[in-house]
Amino acid sequence: MSEDLTLYHWEPNANSGKPMLTLVEKGVPFASHYIDLLAFDQHKPDYLAINPMGTIPAMVHGGRLMNESTAIMEYVEEAFPGPALMPADARDRWRVRWWMKYFDQWLGPSLSMLGWNVGIGPKVRERDPEELKAAIDRIPLPERRIAWRKAIYGLFSEEELAESTRRILIGIDLVEKTLVQREWLACDSYSLADINAFNSAYFLPISQGEHCNDEKTPRIMRWLRTIYARPAVKTTWAMGRTAMASRIKIFEGEEVEKW
Amino acid sequence: MVMTLYHGEPTGPSLTVLAALFESGLEADLRPIDLAMGERHAGAIPLNVETNYSVEGEGPVLVVDGEALCDSVFIGCFLDDAAPGSGLRPADPYVRWEMMAWCRWIIERLAPGVAALANRAWTTPRLAALDDDAFAIITGRIVAQDLRERWEETRAGTLSDEHRAASEARVHEAAKKVDDRLVDRDWIMGDFSLADLESYAWLAPMRELLPAAFEGKPHLAAWLARVAARPSVQRALTQARTPEPAHGFAPGPEINRWG
Repeated sequence: MSEDLTLYHWEPNANSGKPMLTLVEKGVPFASHYIDLLAFDQHKPDYLAINPMGTIPAMVHGGRLMNESTAIMEYVEEAFPGPALMPADARDRWRVRWWMKYFDQWLGPSLSMLGWNVGIGPKVRERDPEELKAAIDRIPLPERRIAWRKAIYGLFSEEELAESTRRILIGIDLVEKTLVQREWLACDSYSLADINAFNSAYFLPISQGEHCNDEKTPRIMRWLRTIYARPAVKTTWAMGRTAMASRIKIFEGEEVEKW
Repeated sequence: MVMTLYHGEPTGPSLTVLAALFESGLEADLRPIDLAMGERHAGAIPLNVETNYSVEGEGPVLVVDGEALCDSVFIGCFLDDAAPGSGLRPADPYVRWEMMAWCRWIIERLAPGVAALANRAWTTPRLAALDDDAFAIITGRIVAQDLRERWEETRAGTLSDEHRAASEARVHEAAKKVDDRLVDRDWIMGDFSLADLESYAWLAPMRELLPAAFEGKPHLAAWLARVAARPSVQRALTQARTPEPAHGFAPGPEINRWG
């Protein structure tokens, strides 16, 4: 069995960034294969031959395919040596998993809805309409086809957008209050929960700057800057190819574009 | 370690957690509560951020040395971490990845559909029979607004045709997924695991509401009997306090907001 490790990923952001940063933190060498999400490379035959679900990220280790970014993070933690990114205590481990699900299933969809509505959606809609339609028709999973159609054409109702904003503000409040109790999100050490959350939360001071800043959420800002200072974050973000990856310079005090 | 398990009738997530506890061999004080009457929020359980904002909604709560843990799959992982060798999770990291990815599909795709159909059939009549003041006492204690709204929708019985059809499609899809998986094996991951409990707990109660989804699936039928025969599941079923424990649902996970 080949021990080759390949990660198929987009920008260091949201789901793609989770296994990228985990692998770099563990010091695990891997072949990086960049998939351009906005060119819909993930739904093209070359990639579907590797991952029939057409989702990114995906990882191939020893010839075996894995998808689902958070499950991949736990695999990387268990299958490779390197610094521990899961605490030893069973209750701490439970909290790591809870916070990852909270970001994956409750907060994350709201963040991506606003991101697509204001930022990515309008840019994608500048493309040829026929090309966009063909791109959607190629998506293998029906639920992903529905989600992409909404994202590309901006089919979010006012109620949905308001609900997403409401959830993001609650999320900011819950994370700030949690970081009053402890230094890291889930326990007293840096863990997969921080890696997972950072990949969405790094953007909060930019997208929600009036609610997430040094004055209103000093603990979130301290937490984000502490993570940003890690060498693995610099290495991971250097793998980005678009302007998205440069937004992280906000933690060096630079002015960055909102979208 | 002092543990108290607040659980509903042995169906859905309460069945998973009761059976997982018995598989682990760990001791916990069992406290049955009526989830559909809002007893989770009635004051006995030390609810925290995690239990108030649980993606699972009204699931069981395991209190460990004063800290409330929720979300059935993660409670199962906690029990396995606390009692290594319980057999709840496979030992091999790749099969563990497979189990976590499988369970993620069950909790994100199947569980919201089952919760919608089960609540419509069995919880709506119970809540509709309450007078407004009694219902307001229940909802007044619920911290998360989106969960409170699911309670209100459940009482009103407002399940759209579209939502109902999507939920039924999920049950059909899950039944086929399990049947296909079991062509060459007795248990979903090869050996028995938490994936069998979580899948069984959500699927089994649908036999009564959607029998068509179970027709012509011999591997699924044999597996349902195999899971039901496990001593841990048998013991969980003896915790029932009502004549129809499979009906003991309460507002659960929401349907994915991205469709």
